[in-house]
Amino acid sequence: MSFLELKDVNVGFGPASSRTEVLSNINLSVKEKEFVAIIGFSGAGKSTLMSLLAGLQAPSSGSVTMNGKPMQGPGPDRGLMFQNYSLLPWLSVFDNIKLAVDRVFPELSKSEKADKIHHYIKMVKLDHAPDKKPHELSGGMRQRASLARTLSLDPEILLLDEPLSALDALTRSEIQDQILNIWETDKRTVVMITNDVDEAVLMADRIIPLTMGPKATLADEFEVRMERPRDRHTLNDHPEFMRLKSEITQFMMDLNEESKGLRKNDIVPMPDIRPKDFALPTATPRLKNRHSQPGKPKSAA
Amino acid sequence: MNFLKTIKYPILKGIDFSGLTFLSPVVRLCYGEEPAVQIKKIVQWIIIPIIAILIFIFAWNQASDNIHTKSGRLPSPKETLLAYSAIDTFAEYEALKEEAYLMSGNERISELEVTEKLIAAIEPIVESTTEAVKTTKAAYAEKIEARIAPLDEERKKTDAAFKEAQASRKAALAEMSEALTPGDTAAYEAFLAAVKDDVSKTDEEKDKVRALKSEIDDIRDEKSKDVAKALYAQTQAAEELQFLQKKVDQLTRDNRSEKVASAKVEMSEEFATLTTLTGADAFKTARGIAKDEARLVKTETSDYAGAKTLWYQTRRSILCVFTGFLLGSAIAIPIGILCGLNSTFMAAMTPFVAIFKPVSPIVWLPICLIIASAYVPAPEDSTLMNWMWEDAWFLKNYDINPAFIASACTVALCSLWATLANTALGVASIDKDHMNVARVLKLGFWSRLFKIVIPSALPLIFAGLRISLGVGWMVLIAAELLSSSEGIGKFVWDQFNNGASDSFAKMVVVVFIVGFIGLLLDRIMIVFQRLVSFEGGAAGV
Repeated sequence: MSFLELKDVNVGFGPASSRTEVLSNINLSVKEKEFVAIIGFSGAGKSTLMSLLAGLQAPSSGSVTMNGKPMQGPGPDRGLMFQNYSLLPWLSVFDNIKLAVDRVFPELSKSEKADKIHHYIKMVKLDHAPDKKPHELSGGMRQRASLARTLSLDPEILLLDEPLSALDALTRSEIQDQILNIWETDKRTVVMITNDVDEAVLMADRIIPLTMGPKATLADEFEVRMERPRDRHTLNDHPEFMRLKSEITQFMMDLNEESKGLRKNDIVPMPDIRPKDFALPTATPRLKNRHSQPGKPKSAA
Repeated sequence: MNFLKTIKYPILKGIDFSGLTFLSPVVRLCYGEEPAVQIKKIVQWIIIPIIAILIFIFAWNQASDNIHTKSGRLPSPKETLLAYSAIDTFAEYEALKEEAYLMSGNERISELEVTEKLIAAIEPIVESTTEAVKTTKAAYAEKIEARIAPLDEERKKTDAAFKEAQASRKAALAEMSEALTPGDTAAYEAFLAAVKDDVSKTDEEKDKVRALKSEIDDIRDEKSKDVAKALYAQTQAAEELQFLQKKVDQLTRDNRSEKVASAKVEMSEEFATLTTLTGADAFKTARGIAKDEARLVKTETSDYAGAKTLWYQTRRSILCVFTGFLLGSAIAIPIGILCGLNSTFMAAMTPFVAIFKPVSPIVWLPICLIIASAYVPAPEDSTLMNWMWEDAWFLKNYDINPAFIASACTVALCSLWATLANTALGVASIDKDHMNVARVLKLGFWSRLFKIVIPSALPLIFAGLRISLGVGWMVLIAAELLSSSEGIGKFVWDQFNNGASDSFAKMVVVVFIVGFIGLLLDRIMIVFQRLVSFEGGAAGV
């Protein structure tokens, strides 16, 4: 039984005459408590796909269902973690999370709410900076605050939109571990969009490539059959990891080549012209000539 | 020492926050941080501006020496300073008179004694200064006459000589005209030439006499510094004497407790009369007593009714500008938010904004005055006005009247546009991601408004408010000038109509006061703006 399902979904923009199809014929079904990674090149329409899953955007055609019911608009049951953090800059980390907690658990008392917020802050290891404003935090800390806010919604499904793409390699692996830890202790459905093959293989149960846009669609999936917890240090020697990594990378590169091939027709041949002389014309005599041009009145004087 | 170190960064942060950044190199220098760099900055941001100010004062002084017109002359910096102290002294005198008005009992009597002693002390000074003015004037007149006498002699002499010459030329010409024979062209030409020569000579001579005369007039017009000094001393003494005499009035005849006491005596006398009367007379007298009693109650709580000082007018202007500003903001911010949220509403509002924005305060003011006086046709009978005069917190000291309300409305109407435009822009340009957060959280309209929209637009709203307050302050002075609402604008108008010797100088003083308060208001708004802005900077203080 699939938990989240996309059936024959198409998304396009613009009027019929000059319509841009971003996604076409998308079929995706995510089981409960499953970690799915969608991998694609930038510009392929990954964020559009995420907006669809979050309900921020409705498909042009096709259906998006969750728990068998058609999706209507966004909601806190789908915790979307934005690519660029989307923390409210005028609120502290605590208050940013409080905004979510207030919305989802209005019945809790003030101290219960505070406990909950501190719980999530601790979970992402930000307990030293709950009162900091987003601009006082590093990129990694902001992303962790954003993660804490998303988790605090206690969503049925976590939607991670390239959560780590803006981070440096070290912070990235740290937060990967944190997300995995949290997921493993508190299993829930996760859909993550990424452009990093290693990340996808390390974290996901299934990896689904998104082909190049326009008219991007989902390609055949790769199943990751590696035991959890996965250790990033020994993973590099794991034969399954090596195999998957090289297969997916190869697949993605082929996709890239393919799309390049499609674009080959766009190359316009330039005419074979050789310029004769690049030397500048001598400037001074010409200027003088202009002043003493015969037949022109000297109105300037 | 440690304490000093710990307060260093809070001090610097506070300086940065309040926008007084020119002070931070001084603080850093005091802490011995990179002295060379700090001294360079101090030179650039403190010394150079001071030099510029000195140059300005010097140029102003030069200009005031040269700009003389029929209606007055540009006051010099010194005269402006004297005008400032005159304004200040006037305010001080008014305060002392008020104090005297409210005194009673022994306090009043001892104060009266002191004041009378002061009068006795100053009277001879007034006399002596008046005498000094007379003698200096006479001495100066003598000096002038001595200088003029030879010139006048010369003028008379030349005048007589010229008149003689003119008469003889006239006689010669008459002779020539007699000797003319019609048809003799050469003779006529010679005659015409002689006449022309006479005319030009006469003009020349007149010019010479006129030049001498104007030289004499110039000497007469010269102002003696000694006379001016003597006059100034006399005016000072006379003014102080006048003040002291008026203070005596406030301590005796016009004193509140004295008035109450005499009214009580009068009433008891009236009552004695009443006890002897019957019938219609008794009725009439009793009514008189009842009326007097009501008046007495008013007198007992009455305030000193003196002239308004510039400081009072300044405070009232500030009150008025904030009233108008708050009124304008209360209109502009909600409308701006609606405009930013809803493009249809924005489209509906655009024509009004476009048409009303450029309207000058001079046009708004009469309309506001008419509307304000239509709403409050008889201020004395209006409950609201009476409440504002008698009970309303600090407002009761400021005599809120329709002119005040009209001025405040004019300020509101002229200043709200900047806030409106900035609020609409701030709300319309909310980060799409922040709105997505609101959508994911499924926030309702109000919590979306108060938790996402307004906080995100606040920095721009405050930028708009800052512009609005600046515009409002400029508009207010003009509005007060026209509406005669007691305030800085009215002070300027009174001075303009007054035409005393220091009126112009007082207006120049007002220029600086208005400028300084405008600067202060702007600084306050900058601090607020920084308090609400959230990205980077010193937003955390």
